[in-house]
Amino acid sequence: MKTRVVRFLTIVVAWPPAVGAQHAAPSTPRDSALHALNRLAYGPRPGEIERVAAGGVLRWIDAQLAPDKIDDETVAKRAREFDVLKYDRGDLARLYAEVQRARQQRKRMGDTAADKPDDSPIAMRGRRFAAQVQQLAVVRAALSERQLYEVMVDFWTNHFNVYFAKGADRFLTPDYIEHTIRPHAMGRFEDLLIATAKSPAMLFYLDNWQSIAPGAFPRSPLSALRREDQEVRRAPKGINENYARELLELHTLGVDGGYSQHDVIDVARIFTGWSIRRPQQGADFEFHDWAHDTGDKQVLGIEFERGHGMDEAIRLLKLLADHPATMHHVSRKLCQRFVNDDPPDGCVDDAVAAWQRSHGDIRDVLRAIFHGPDFWAAANIRAKVKTPLEFVVSAARAVDAEPDTTPRLAQVVARLGEPLYLHVAPDGYPEREDAWVNSGAVLDRMNAAVALAAGRLPGAVATLDSVAPVTANPVQLIAGIDGGILGGTMSENTKRVIAEQVSDITDPVQARALAVGLAIGGPEFQRQ
Amino acid sequence: MSISRRVFVKSGGVALFSLGMDPLFLARAALGSYKPLPPVAACCRPVLVCLFQRGAVDGLNMIVPHGDPLYYRERPRIAVPQSDVVDLDGYFGLHPRLAALKPLWDSKRLAAIHAIGSPDATRSHFDAQDYMESGTPGVKATPDGWLNRYCQHDREHQDTPFRAVAFGPELPRILAGTAPSLAIADLQAFGLRAPQAAARDRLTRAFEELYAGSATGLLSASSQEAFEAVQTLKRVDPTQYQPANGADYPRGKLGKAMLEIAQLIKANVGLQVAFADVTGWDTHVNQGATEGQLAARLAELGQTLTAFAQDLGEKLDDVVVLTMSEFGRTVRENGNSGTDHGHATAMLLLGGPVNGGRVLGAWPGLDPASRFEGRDVAVTTDFRDLFAEVLARHLGARDLSAIFPGFTPDPARFPGAIRG
Repeated sequence: MKTRVVRFLTIVVAWPPAVGAQHAAPSTPRDSALHALNRLAYGPRPGEIERVAAGGVLRWIDAQLAPDKIDDETVAKRAREFDVLKYDRGDLARLYAEVQRARQQRKRMGDTAADKPDDSPIAMRGRRFAAQVQQLAVVRAALSERQLYEVMVDFWTNHFNVYFAKGADRFLTPDYIEHTIRPHAMGRFEDLLIATAKSPAMLFYLDNWQSIAPGAFPRSPLSALRREDQEVRRAPKGINENYARELLELHTLGVDGGYSQHDVIDVARIFTGWSIRRPQQGADFEFHDWAHDTGDKQVLGIEFERGHGMDEAIRLLKLLADHPATMHHVSRKLCQRFVNDDPPDGCVDDAVAAWQRSHGDIRDVLRAIFHGPDFWAAANIRAKVKTPLEFVVSAARAVDAEPDTTPRLAQVVARLGEPLYLHVAPDGYPEREDAWVNSGAVLDRMNAAVALAAGRLPGAVATLDSVAPVTANPVQLIAGIDGGILGGTMSENTKRVIAEQVSDITDPVQARALAVGLAIGGPEFQRQ
Repeated sequence: MSISRRVFVKSGGVALFSLGMDPLFLARAALGSYKPLPPVAACCRPVLVCLFQRGAVDGLNMIVPHGDPLYYRERPRIAVPQSDVVDLDGYFGLHPRLAALKPLWDSKRLAAIHAIGSPDATRSHFDAQDYMESGTPGVKATPDGWLNRYCQHDREHQDTPFRAVAFGPELPRILAGTAPSLAIADLQAFGLRAPQAAARDRLTRAFEELYAGSATGLLSASSQEAFEAVQTLKRVDPTQYQPANGADYPRGKLGKAMLEIAQLIKANVGLQVAFADVTGWDTHVNQGATEGQLAARLAELGQTLTAFAQDLGEKLDDVVVLTMSEFGRTVRENGNSGTDHGHATAMLLLGGPVNGGRVLGAWPGLDPASRFEGRDVAVTTDFRDLFAEVLARHLGARDLSAIFPGFTPDPARFPGAIRG
């Protein structure tokens, strides 16, 4: 650990422009800027590499670590164009219920088309809202000045995955993103963990809202009556381990974090009673004292004495948030996201040390990763393949497209294999390249690149003038695209192939569009 | 005007104004036609189709032990009533929504195996799926999947890009590895898209050259496989496909995947190993009995398999479909009319070579004393014994210990799923 701190200091002192020679692969401030923009941001927009390099890469990184201080009015204005943000989860729940009722009605009427897509105005509105939620993520990623913040929102959205298409999560997910993930994305891990545990979306997704102590029954005669009225067979009758297991395995300790099946059961017992009120009307968090298991529990060898109700789980969450296995598990995932699919041990150690020092302040952990030698090591430059979201957003940024509220780009992300908020399993979308790189996906990326550059994606119009001016000179054209989109990393082969392809196209506007499509669909742009 | 149209005008002009063709374009056209098409693969090559039910299917409600009163005692709300079960052998029966499969059972082309699963005790979906796909329970570091390892060790079929195909946008763990394999999300849309054939060919060649010259690592291998496949598919023309014998695939991803698998089998492009997966089996809440969530998923599965068998007709004689799921579910229903993560489950085998009309595997019973950890159906067949048998007896695999490292497959333990 000590040597790493020393090395780190060397780098800070000596860099930029001459980054500590032993580690630093980026040989110029431009290369460093490109690397930082590829990892902390969704790739450079035209001219951005130069701007970041001129202002100092470390200064830009520090600015990104304090997102609140970055003016982001442009994207805030764009976000306001999304109607769905004007509706709270109660409004969306009512809309959802209305669609359901209409569908039931059609079924009762013996409408043979009941299982066909519902084209009623209300159902269309529901679908439009769902699409807007996905598109909003793409728009924010593409246009926000708080790039690192948006990257972290995506990271935590996957770490604390919920499934948009599961029952009540159809109307709870938008609220989850806005009010659970986003406010805590660069705060303290513990706060984020507690927020997700209390969120109606997570309580519903992993079934905890229905987990009750065996034999427990609501004390209030009124609610008991209501329950009886509804459907007695559906009343919850015992504990449900689902959330407890994923909390330990995915959210905190990690699968090798040293817990047992007994721990899972007792965590589930501790969380009995963590539920939601009136799920069909918007669902607020509610602790049901009557449903809580009143016995003593033991997790990871630590006693949780009976009689502390909801505080038992809060104590448990704080303990988990500060557990060495959690620090290691989450730090490893962060290093995998920012440094390499196979995260170097040194990166993980640095992140864990920062976590310990700062008691889980996410910004401090990130700072340690970005200032550590592994982040800048030659072996890790362009070592990662972009995920579908990263590919689509970086392509939109590269050609200065300003996506609007139509879900076009979100649909492209979905076609490439990553429909947003629709990963069924609680592990979230994978980070490793082998999950994304396969023959079909590679072809799809080429298609998306050509369509974007040719202006065939309405709602995301490329502004190719900001990439390279129209010119009849292919050498100039290719140099412009290389500098503007690939930061000067275009291979000789790519230059040759593009030159050959544009050589017989007489219209320079068409030639430029084809060249940009090939550059974005080509192998260099798939990496970051 | 879009690029592709522009390109079409330019290259479409070749036929009309051939004298105006520039030398570069000629060179490209020559390059394009130089590469020989892969040979048409021989017919009647055995095919294995693996179907992964992700989320852990409740084997007890799929292949119902209706002869055991304990089954009904433990599941007061979700047991399938005896009167609804499609009886198979007096003790086990099909869930009623799988009734479409009964004729295949009667003609001995459908078998089930019960109490099958992993020797590893994990109840994590991710770990258990990972183990079932890597073929190495308990070992996470295994870099490749067992289907891919089969392809690595049996190279004689590697004459076609369609030898191993996964239907879906992502290549699954089971096919990850050094042997070439394809992931196809939509057969009809596979390849570069452009309105005209000439423009499509030109774009294809351009990207092929880009990737051949500049791609590294996985990007390089995947793109190479992609371009070979594009060439073969050009010949097959999947847009014209009509299922045979009145086969009616259910709408949805599963039906579509199986239709496309049938199509590739019939097109004789050399498909040997196919993979598809279907989600929705993680029934923690309101699982249902004769009707409900699980019933709907089973209906889709049953109809899909029936349509697939119909569509293939006699070709089914060369095909084995094997279903799998990462683990089973608790014997006793939980407090939410659902079931939690368990241990052993049931799998289905369909096809001409299948030793059908029987429920295979040793049945441990539902008695609490014989359950795994007192709660789940115990595993009596290691899934690798079944997978190894299918690879050996159906595909003719020889080096089984290389495909399942750390495991010694023994024909004496084969459950007898494939006719000798």
